[in-house]
Amino acid sequence: MRHPLSPFTYLTRNPSKVLPMGFVIVLCVFLIAAVASIANSIDLTVRTIYRYTEFFTYVIPQRSTQSVPMDQRAILEMQPEIDRIIEGGVFFVNIKTVVGRLPFVVIGSTPEERDYLLKRIRATLVEGRMPEEGKPEVVVSQPILENRNLKLGDVIAGPLDDGGIAGSPVPVKVVGVLKSDIWVAMSSRTFTDKTFLLTPKCLLFTTKVPSDLDVVNERLMPVGRKGDGFLSPEKVNVLTRANLLAEVRDSLSSMYMIMEVVSATVIFVIALMSGMLSNIYFTQRIPEFGVLAALGISRARLMMKIVWETVILTVIAWAIGSVLSVFLLTYLAANVFKQRGLFLDAMDPWAYQHTLPIPVAITIFAMVTVWVRLKRLDAVSVIERR
Amino acid sequence: MLSCNDICLDYVEATRVTHALKGVSLDFSPNKLHGIMGPSGSGKSSLLYILCGLKSPTAGNVALDGTSITNMSDAACARLRSQKFGFVFQQPFLLNYLTALENILVGINPDQLSASVQKAESLLSYLGLDGMGDKYPSMLSGGERQRVAVARALIGNPDIVFADEPTAALDKDNGYKVMSALADWAVDHTVIVVTHDADMLKGADVIHHLIGGCLVDDQPSNVR
Ligand SMILES: Nc1ncnc2c1ncn2[C@@H]1O[C@H](COP(=O)(O)OP(=O)(O)OP(=O)(O)O)[C@@H](O)[C@H]1O
Ligand SMILES: [Mg+2]
Repeated sequence: MRHPLSPFTYLTRNPSKVLPMGFVIVLCVFLIAAVASIANSIDLTVRTIYRYTEFFTYVIPQRSTQSVPMDQRAILEMQPEIDRIIEGGVFFVNIKTVVGRLPFVVIGSTPEERDYLLKRIRATLVEGRMPEEGKPEVVVSQPILENRNLKLGDVIAGPLDDGGIAGSPVPVKVVGVLKSDIWVAMSSRTFTDKTFLLTPKCLLFTTKVPSDLDVVNERLMPVGRKGDGFLSPEKVNVLTRANLLAEVRDSLSSMYMIMEVVSATVIFVIALMSGMLSNIYFTQRIPEFGVLAALGISRARLMMKIVWETVILTVIAWAIGSVLSVFLLTYLAANVFKQRGLFLDAMDPWAYQHTLPIPVAITIFAMVTVWVRLKRLDAVSVIERR
Repeated sequence: MLSCNDICLDYVEATRVTHALKGVSLDFSPNKLHGIMGPSGSGKSSLLYILCGLKSPTAGNVALDGTSITNMSDAACARLRSQKFGFVFQQPFLLNYLTALENILVGINPDQLSASVQKAESLLSYLGLDGMGDKYPSMLSGGERQRVAVARALIGNPDIVFADEPTAALDKDNGYKVMSALADWAVDHTVIVVTHDADMLKGADVIHHLIGGCLVDDQPSNVR
């Protein structure tokens, strides 16, 4: 037999008092988890789309020149960690993202260079073939096809494409599909050279040990202190994972701040609300506690009973809220957000970390209110029904 | 033995002071049913609360077996109440989300729970509540509820049972049932019953009369 004063006895026998509170917590956990993971998904989206920056770095000439100046290239050649430096022609195709259409780079390279780069990112051809020299053809990885909702043989870029720098004077067809999580698109150097005469050529380099890439990048052009590196920011720009993320996070910083304020406010409000609720529940339960105190149950034990009731309720509600959020967000991520080019991690630990203050705040609020009330509890006035 | 010495109690309100007890000294000899009688407002309840440590007197001292309980800490006093005292109030004050059996067992230490279930059931049948252990208070009559409260007072095997108007909310029949259970307990324990109903104290060994906060005299009543 369970002890009559066990917190479980109270919780299971008083659903009409326990469930509303539990429901509010579940909803709040979902709200915070959803807001936090959606906010974080922009970061994740950038990391997903530009994941190739983990494998190679682009060096792009500044506007005035058609290719990376020789002195800058010489600096790259002096870095001992660098494995290969490849000059590539580029053009852009549109991809859909949450912030709208974005241009995604297609690299024009020789077959040998292409094989080298694809091997680096461990992408293998699963359908079709590699682009032929000089033909308007590309090979792309699966995520890009999914994003554009295209299949083998479809046109991925053409003269009628909307928006900025993306597009091609001739329709470009997808002739091969690569199996890879990494977003990558490649064409032939001969095609890009003859078609995109005005687009500057860029350099891309790899390191012998892939994990050295960050170190070399930082040496060449440090994040946040562009002028302090070996390369000259007046002549070239580098596209690295670190500066991409820094830029995104910088541009999103006010949104993150707003999110922090929203979740802090929500948590404060619900903690306050539940503090008030536990105060009301306590008032309703004064006769119970007064009689128990008269029978000789110590304040400490009564306090423990209430604290455990609150802890168990909030922890269970938090767990239910989290599980519910994982399910709902997984569904939304797969069925709503992915099509819109937003990558949402339904199990983002950072998002769930943001929901932890909910049970903690509620428990602390309940403990403080109940402690104050218990200290003033007068058993005699309960018994005398004053 | 429980005894009190020169107990005074003043209720201080904003504009006036009520002298509820004016120097009450009493010894409650063991193995007896003690009745405390007196008109309304004479200080009976106040005295009872002071005797069991729920209230502190303005002056005077309560001692249990020679040890003063008046200046005990809250926690020590709670321990004393749960280990040595039993209580029956005018209202049963059962917890409505617990069954009759569970209500009887609320004050039991968790480690003694399984040992006490049997005892609670025999108390139920002793009080004529056979088979009512799993009923909730809302399904019991007022008299049945009060008898559950009596079982709750007795389950811990208390040396002293305090009862404040335990029969006031009951009809005569139920009142006698409760009183006879308390009288049985008084055979080898101390029972102190406050009431203004002389009928209910027919079985009392000693009756103390309070009037206006003063003890009038000890009249030994008809001994059983
Ligand atoms: N909390 C209080 N504040 C002020 N005065 C009080 C308080 N409690 C009791 N009194 C007064 O103290 C006196 C004694 O009260 P007490 O409750 O002990 O009487 P009683 O003998 O139990 O009466 P009854 O038979 O009506 O229950 C009364 O005059 C009452 O008005
Ligand atoms: Mg009274």
